[in-house]
Amino acid sequence: MFRVPLAKAISLGSPKRVANIAVRASASAASTPAKAPERIEVFVDDIPVQVLPGTTVLQAAAMVGVEIPRFCYHERLAVAGNCRMCLVEVEKSPKPVAACAMPVMKGWRIKTNSDLTKKAREGVMEFLLMNHPLDCPICDQGGECDLQDQAMAFGSDRSRFTDINFTGKRAVEDKDIGPLVKTIMTRCIHCTRCIRFASEIAGVDDLGTTGRGNDMQVGTYVEKLFLTELSGNVIDLCPVGALTNKPYSFVARPWEIRKIDSIDVMDAIGSNIIVSTRTGEVLRILPRENEEVNEEWLADKGRFACDGLKRQRLIAPMLRTPSGELQAVEWESTLIAVAKAVRKAPKGSVVAIAGSMADVEAMVATKDLLNRIGSEIVCTEQSLPTQGSGSDLRSNYLLNSSIQALEEADVVLLVGTNPRYEAPLLNTRLRKSYVHNELELALIGPKVDLSYKYQHLGDGAELINQISTGTHPFAQKLKNAKKPAIILGSEMLARPDGAGILATLQSFANKISKPEWNAFNVLHQNASQVGALDVGYRPGVETALKAQPKVVFLLGADAGIVTREKLPKDCFVVYIGHHGDAGATIADAVLPGAAYTEKQATYVNTEGRSQQTLCAVNPPGLAREDWKIIRALSEVVGEPLPYDTLDELRERVEDIAPHLVQHGKLETNSFATLAEQLAKDKKIDNSKITVRQQTLKDYFMTDPISRASPTMAKCIAAVKKQEAKAH
Amino acid sequence: MAGREAVRKTVQQVRPILSIDRDEARKRVLNLYKAWYRQIPYIVMDYDIPMSVEQCREKLREEFMKHSNVSDIRVIDMLVIKGQMELKESVEIWKQKGHIMRYWKETVEPKPTDFLSKFLNNQN
Repeated sequence: MFRVPLAKAISLGSPKRVANIAVRASASAASTPAKAPERIEVFVDDIPVQVLPGTTVLQAAAMVGVEIPRFCYHERLAVAGNCRMCLVEVEKSPKPVAACAMPVMKGWRIKTNSDLTKKAREGVMEFLLMNHPLDCPICDQGGECDLQDQAMAFGSDRSRFTDINFTGKRAVEDKDIGPLVKTIMTRCIHCTRCIRFASEIAGVDDLGTTGRGNDMQVGTYVEKLFLTELSGNVIDLCPVGALTNKPYSFVARPWEIRKIDSIDVMDAIGSNIIVSTRTGEVLRILPRENEEVNEEWLADKGRFACDGLKRQRLIAPMLRTPSGELQAVEWESTLIAVAKAVRKAPKGSVVAIAGSMADVEAMVATKDLLNRIGSEIVCTEQSLPTQGSGSDLRSNYLLNSSIQALEEADVVLLVGTNPRYEAPLLNTRLRKSYVHNELELALIGPKVDLSYKYQHLGDGAELINQISTGTHPFAQKLKNAKKPAIILGSEMLARPDGAGILATLQSFANKISKPEWNAFNVLHQNASQVGALDVGYRPGVETALKAQPKVVFLLGADAGIVTREKLPKDCFVVYIGHHGDAGATIADAVLPGAAYTEKQATYVNTEGRSQQTLCAVNPPGLAREDWKIIRALSEVVGEPLPYDTLDELRERVEDIAPHLVQHGKLETNSFATLAEQLAKDKKIDNSKITVRQQTLKDYFMTDPISRASPTMAKCIAAVKKQEAKAH
Repeated sequence: MAGREAVRKTVQQVRPILSIDRDEARKRVLNLYKAWYRQIPYIVMDYDIPMSVEQCREKLREEFMKHSNVSDIRVIDMLVIKGQMELKESVEIWKQKGHIMRYWKETVEPKPTDFLSKFLNNQN
């Protein structure tokens, strides 16, 4: 099923091409040729355009701003050329040509609006509509359907299809391909985009076609579920309503929803998303295009876990009664109760612990409040070795190569990570590079399915030493590589010998790094982690627990790392967050905060890019934005923080680290070599390396939002059912 | 130079609304005040409002003093015109009880201005 994509087949050399919707500079063809090939001139509707040899008619037309209608063609997928919608007339050619697949020749005169072209389009449209049901009023794609739009723009106003025998249109049985994607296969127009996506991008060859001609069907051959961490993207790709969003089915129409740009916080990639809302509810989440982060894809957790935002929410402030129950009370009394506990606590015995979804603003406000009342201990749940330079140097904890540049890597070593589930959109980059760039990968850790082939070196930690000393054969490959990369999973850093692993790999990475290319990468799993470390939080909860705290602030800390048993008996636990999860159950006071769709907040992704979410809906009930809770509390405590608005708070954030308010920009960082000198302890114990998310069923529930989501629960059930079947 | 001269002329000689100088404007204000002052007992009686004549006179003074800082003659004139209109509406019983009571703003809750009360009321 695999075809070489267009950009690879025609080596479009120069990266400085005219940026266009249909033509994108592909990283796979980034190798600049020694001599720029001569450009050839073609005419699109009599407009001359200079293009590189090998450019297709469709791309050449896009360069002058002529959009040719298409169904099967997609710029990130291989060219199939089977829908025939892009037929255009070329002068002196006996018949119309398929624009998506035909490379241009010198002097061609392409006519995108001639009578022949129009007739060809009308013909194709007529054939497609002959077997396409007219159920647009009950179709979920209605209003955002390519077939609908193009039938209006390019179709004929009448059809020769008259059902004289009353045989009806072609009908195809619907398939059950899982709890996320709903299929209405009668609507399918056989563009094969979903099949190409599954085999090329997701790396799961589950989808395919059976039959020929009118009997052709898209399906999974045998009855099985289409279960991958990227399955939602086929919904966006489907030009008709054959594949639609199951949890969103019959919920809303595209013209009645409000769309707000935001950022996904389910993993540390920081995928750009569009949040669709209506009547104060988040209805669905779609990816937003960002070439540097998520291209145009979105992982399933980010897309489908949004129904978890309506369940298990904390909607009122709560205090624990003497009988041990949490009771909903007013804000005033809660703030007073918390303030009393804070005031009573001796200096230095108030600590804060930030969880996986804490935003930068809330963390800065918390840190400021704690510093004002004489406490220094603010930390994150996820730990990172603090020996050596620790979190003082940014290069110690970032994905230094950057997500986009990892496509160019030629040898990659994964240590204690499963990028497929920890960061699905980083894995698609690696897979892309594996397919188009002959990327060579090796993994130290448990043997997992990464959707592409890799060399499994084993799961012993001693392998890291062998690599760094150069005794392992793979070390040589890394040394000879042009752009080597080592990706270290964040779970490795939480190990007792994390400092040793970090130091060893860092010194080895410095040896193989090139100018302008830092080979050392840490792949985080928490959206908050890099932001927290940037504003000066200490990684790991050990210092906080050791301080024998009297008051603990949990900023959405729900991973279950902090438990009642680990805290002193008389400790007052304050939970600030949006879901009733592990953190809220141990709290003495619960202050309901806003989830990521309900606040304007900054998050920094694993490569150090700060991005902001926007407020799509209001926080439910009495919940408030997190930083405002801290600000209000500070006033009750008697140490009011000097900012009343988000802008003022952002000014304070800018004073700490200016890059945090430059949203969307990637800040480069240096000092990688310095970090190695500061790192002393390089001891690694020879225990087994393991990761939490090994198979698909580990992927769906990792944070409070996805744990509260019924869709995610259904996904897990579906995966288990599939496993039980065992073909 | 000529241009500046023209500007000054226009600035100095704007078309008056009613009054030509301050004294005349002042006279109009006092006349309006007196008219209201004399009308107040009838307003209290006609509209049957739960306020005494003294309270109403206090409110009248307050309403006039609200604009004590106005010095532009045209603005003063305009305020007088609007006051006249209000008075007429009251005299002719075009208003209802609630319209009169609205001067006291008994049901209007002041918006919170400091952070903490804004936070507690969920107002931005």
